[in-house]
Amino acid sequence: MTSSADTSITGFFVRYRTIDLVTIATLGVAFGVVYWAWGKLYEPISALAVFSYPPSSGLLGGVWLIAGVVGGLVVRKPGAALATELIAAAVSLLVVGGTQWGFSTLASGFFQGLGAELVLALLLYRRFGLVVAACAGALAGAFESLYEWTSYYADWDLPYKLAHLAFFSLSGAVVAGLGGWLLVQALARAGVLDAFGPGREHAREV
Amino acid sequence: MTGAILRVNPLVLLAVGLGSLLGSFAVRDLTVAVVALGAYALAVVVTVPSWRYPLACLALCSIAALSLVWSTWRLGGHDEAEALTAGLRIVVLAWPGSVAAGYIDPARLGDHLAQSLRLPGRFVAAFSASLQRFWTFVREWHELERSRRARGVGPSRNPLANGRYAAGAAFALLVQALRGASRTSVAMDARGFADAQHRTWAEPATWTRADVLGLVVATALALVAPVTLLLT
Repeated sequence: MTSSADTSITGFFVRYRTIDLVTIATLGVAFGVVYWAWGKLYEPISALAVFSYPPSSGLLGGVWLIAGVVGGLVVRKPGAALATELIAAAVSLLVVGGTQWGFSTLASGFFQGLGAELVLALLLYRRFGLVVAACAGALAGAFESLYEWTSYYADWDLPYKLAHLAFFSLSGAVVAGLGGWLLVQALARAGVLDAFGPGREHAREV
Repeated sequence: MTGAILRVNPLVLLAVGLGSLLGSFAVRDLTVAVVALGAYALAVVVTVPSWRYPLACLALCSIAALSLVWSTWRLGGHDEAEALTAGLRIVVLAWPGSVAAGYIDPARLGDHLAQSLRLPGRFVAAFSASLQRFWTFVREWHELERSRRARGVGPSRNPLANGRYAAGAAFALLVQALRGASRTSVAMDARGFADAQHRTWAEPATWTRADVLGLVVATALALVAPVTLLLT
């Protein structure tokens, strides 16, 4: 017997509410603009002497993984992370001038979203803590790096490729994982996630 | 410079970008790169209404291509031809798509995603509604700037403090956007959005002869690189 107060979800019941869809799309649009702006800043920053060891430019990539992690942490339903990241990638393509990577951005968005999604799926969409967020960011970064091995850096030697993978995953874990988790907590405190899991966890009993 | 690109529907424009992505995998040597890029340049020159936007896209792509030429030359054993090919591959991959994407109208894209591709209506309508809020975000950003300046918390000349200011304003914008999202979804549900069985669309999504021709051209352009690779 479950009481009416028992709201835990049993089994795989996935029904997207309207607010889930609109929130995913809104996060996608907002992060899409961020991705577009970061794409413009990326070239001058990655040309700095600090990044004279080219694989270390992977350290800058974590910013592009944050939408998937945040979308997954907020909506907490199968497909949310992938959809948010994919929409963000698509929007960054549609904003004035698009990105310098063209439609390859969509493929990147797919692999980045898939990485974050897989971690959440492995935990059956039950755990959304800091460690899970960091793992989601790291796997998203690893997937993206593997995609870039084949599409951009096919001619690099293997040690450089492995270094790129490590840098990208680290950046994903810190910027997208830790950063995304902190952002979700801040949004929950601001009271705009009341319809979602993180908002309910922040609700104080009066 | 005929402006023909304005007359095709958004799915054809997406096909141009997708085609250039797939075609770029066949860019293995300098000959293929030059031939493929020439074909795309010709198509762009013929179809766009003005040269300014494609050139801006090309400039943005070139920055990425140059940094890739340099890194490939350094990490791939100092081979000039290989490095140059890698750079041109990025231009073939990115430039046609970014030019085509610039002429996509979000509302028409939504119409076509739902009616031509038959994607689930709820998802498309939610996506389309959010995409159109983009300009609201721009307006809200200006409002935030004005109200912050009025309260004496405007940006300073110190770049570090400026970064903190921008981050604070961006967070405020995100909070407003999510509030707007919950308002929008309540409004949509009040109109029976969630449980609708039959959905109608305000605008028809049509396929004209120009669209079919555009799709043929997009496919032909995508095939230029693989065919050149096979012939040489």
